Amino acid sequence: GPEWELAFIICFPRKFDCRSREKETFSCWWEPGSDGGLPTEYRLFYTQEREVRECPDYVSAGANSCFFDKKHTSIWAEYTMTVVATNALGNASEEFRITDVMEYVKPDPPVNVTVVVNSSAPSPFLEIRWKSPPDVDVRTGWVTLKYELRVKQNDSKEWKVNIGSETFFNFYNVYPGLLYMVQVRCKLDHGKWSEWSNTIFAEIPKNHQLEKYFWIFVFVFSLVPFLMAMYIVLLKRNAVKQCLLPPVPGPKIKGLNAHLLKSGRSEDVVNALMGNQNFPPVAAWTEQVEDFLLVSDSDEWLLTDSFASEKNKDIFIIPAGLHLGLEIQRRDLSVDLNTWEKTDDSKEEAKSNFSNMEPINLPVEKHEFLNGEEKSIQPLASTSYVDIQQHPTLTDYSRVKEVNDNTILILNEEEIPHGLDAEEVKSEVSVPDDYSRVKEVNSDVVFLEKGDSADGCCKKKEDHYTDWTNQKPIMPLESELSKGFCLKMIASGYVDSGPAFSVK
Amino acid sequence: MQQKSEKRQLGQRRNRLRTCRTDKRTMAQRRISGGKLFITVVYLVAMCRAVPVNDLLDRASQRSDKMHSLSTLLTQEMDSHFPPYGRMQMPRPADCHTSALQTPNDKEQALQVSESDLMSLARSLLQAWVDPLAVLSTSAITLPHPSKSSISSKIQELQEHSKSLGDGLDILSGKMGPSAQAISFLPYTGGTDLGQDRVTILNKFNFLLSCLRRDSHKIDSFLKVLRCRAAKLQPELC
Repeated sequence: GPEWELAFIICFPRKFDCRSREKETFSCWWEPGSDGGLPTEYRLFYTQEREVRECPDYVSAGANSCFFDKKHTSIWAEYTMTVVATNALGNASEEFRITDVMEYVKPDPPVNVTVVVNSSAPSPFLEIRWKSPPDVDVRTGWVTLKYELRVKQNDSKEWKVNIGSETFFNFYNVYPGLLYMVQVRCKLDHGKWSEWSNTIFAEIPKNHQLEKYFWIFVFVFSLVPFLMAMYIVLLKRNAVKQCLLPPVPGPKIKGLNAHLLKSGRSEDVVNALMGNQNFPPVAAWTEQVEDFLLVSDSDEWLLTDSFASEKNKDIFIIPAGLHLGLEIQRRDLSVDLNTWEKTDDSKEEAKSNFSNMEPINLPVEKHEFLNGEEKSIQPLASTSYVDIQQHPTLTDYSRVKEVNDNTILILNEEEIPHGLDAEEVKSEVSVPDDYSRVKEVNSDVVFLEKGDSADGCCKKKEDHYTDWTNQKPIMPLESELSKGFCLKMIASGYVDSGPAFSVK
Repeated sequence: MQQKSEKRQLGQRRNRLRTCRTDKRTMAQRRISGGKLFITVVYLVAMCRAVPVNDLLDRASQRSDKMHSLSTLLTQEMDSHFPPYGRMQMPRPADCHTSALQTPNDKEQALQVSESDLMSLARSLLQAWVDPLAVLSTSAITLPHPSKSSISSKIQELQEHSKSLGDGLDILSGKMGPSAQAISFLPYTGGTDLGQDRVTILNKFNFLLSCLRRDSHKIDSFLKVLRCRAAKLQPELC
């Protein structure tokens, strides 16, 4: 019957829920049952252990609700609610118990959440401020609110969380150019958390100015040590040069000053080497002259050699005019004056002759040493020789008659080397055109023995002097001969002149 | 029996006061001149009150807050594994051993209660839970519940907080007058044994915890109202 129908309608427990926002009032809602299409009236009765009362407010909390205002709210007290549904068929009721309103406390989210980007140095940060939810009384101590804040980058998944009692928070873990989301919620007296507040977005501006300052700062700070380093390098450039480009040690001639060689004019150089003497012009190779120059670096040779006793023994030296086609700057060449060996008078003559030649880039110390030197035969200290660079250098190889790998030097009699006193020499040039006079061949040098007839240019061989200096035996020589110069042969002597005579 | 325990409490309080006075006397005896004696007495009185009331109240309310937090967690932990009987079968709060105490039930009432009364109420409630907490502590060890170790540690922590809060409130009430020092006696009659079978034990445990949660919340609320009222010049304490 109808009672049965009505009972069926309300028989099942309906949902019943309550909520208090501020620990002073609360509301309850019930779920209306299926009413079979009939208009049904719901009433709520509550009791707090004594009398039964009816709901004071069915409206303020919405439909199917009951709102209990401050006067009707008791904390820590029990409520027994009875919802009665009445329709034409009858009425049915359902009972619900609320042990403690505190169990249903859930505040509203915080309001007025503001996020401001504070761009002050040294780095920007977020200033987050908010206010307690409305209606919550925080001034009397009746309610204790706790806040939870969370921040995350827009494209990140992790929230950074902070819990506290204050209504502000400074968030420092931000980076320029990124967008951040901020949310806040609150809890009342260890009750339930509120919903999250609306999301607030904040973007950290890209601080170009700071970047500019940063790069200026970096630039200045890297410039200062750089300038200092340059200055130090400048100050110590000599030392640096020494370190990076170690000088090639060059030959040293006793008694000669390298600086003089560097700075001196050619005349000074020559004078330094040979004294202020005027050499006679280079005499042509005369056939009559058959002088032999002994070249040796040991005393023994001088003593034992049969030729040593010859009066007119000359130590063969490459005539000064012999152009070896070298364009090597000789800076450190120095002349070992001890290697000079000559006869008495001819030496002087030759010297003067030598000095008349074209400027020689011979790094010779301007030294008066030669002038006062005794003309004595002295053993050869070494057998290296110096290249005499002439101005201009002869690059014409047409005069070379023949060159083979035994480094035969062949003279061309027709041409006159530039460097020489051409007029004087011209007539004296002759070509050795027979090999009958080859005395000795060693690996590097072929020594020609010029006969009486052949050597026009050797005529005044005593007039010829070549500077030969101790130099590095590795001095490469180009196999260019200039005519007008001849090789004086060494009679039978041994010339340790491999490097000196090497012609390549 | 009630009078004995009360007398014991009063005696303890007197001893504490006596030690304070004794210190004054011995130190004062070292002084010679009368003027210096007076200054010394004033100085010592100030030292006895070295910690301001506001600070003491703040510390006390922090403790009570911690206690309330712990008891809330305990009830949640109990419920997570064993849903409550059902709302209709749950023992009613009127059955709590402290329900006899008349306390304010809303904000208006609470704001009208005097400071001394608020302090007295807080101390009475706190005192009423000393014995039940001991019972809970022993029962938690053998509780037929999966989280019994966590529950047991929380109850121990509760006991410690309760003890230190009680000491602090004793000192505070001593500064507030005799009405603040009056304690209503609320004995626990539940006995040391919670029951024989598992269901009974768990139900009793649950019920006690819910009563504890309510009472700890009351203590916390009263102390915080007190704190806010005492710190009128410092609204941030509210």
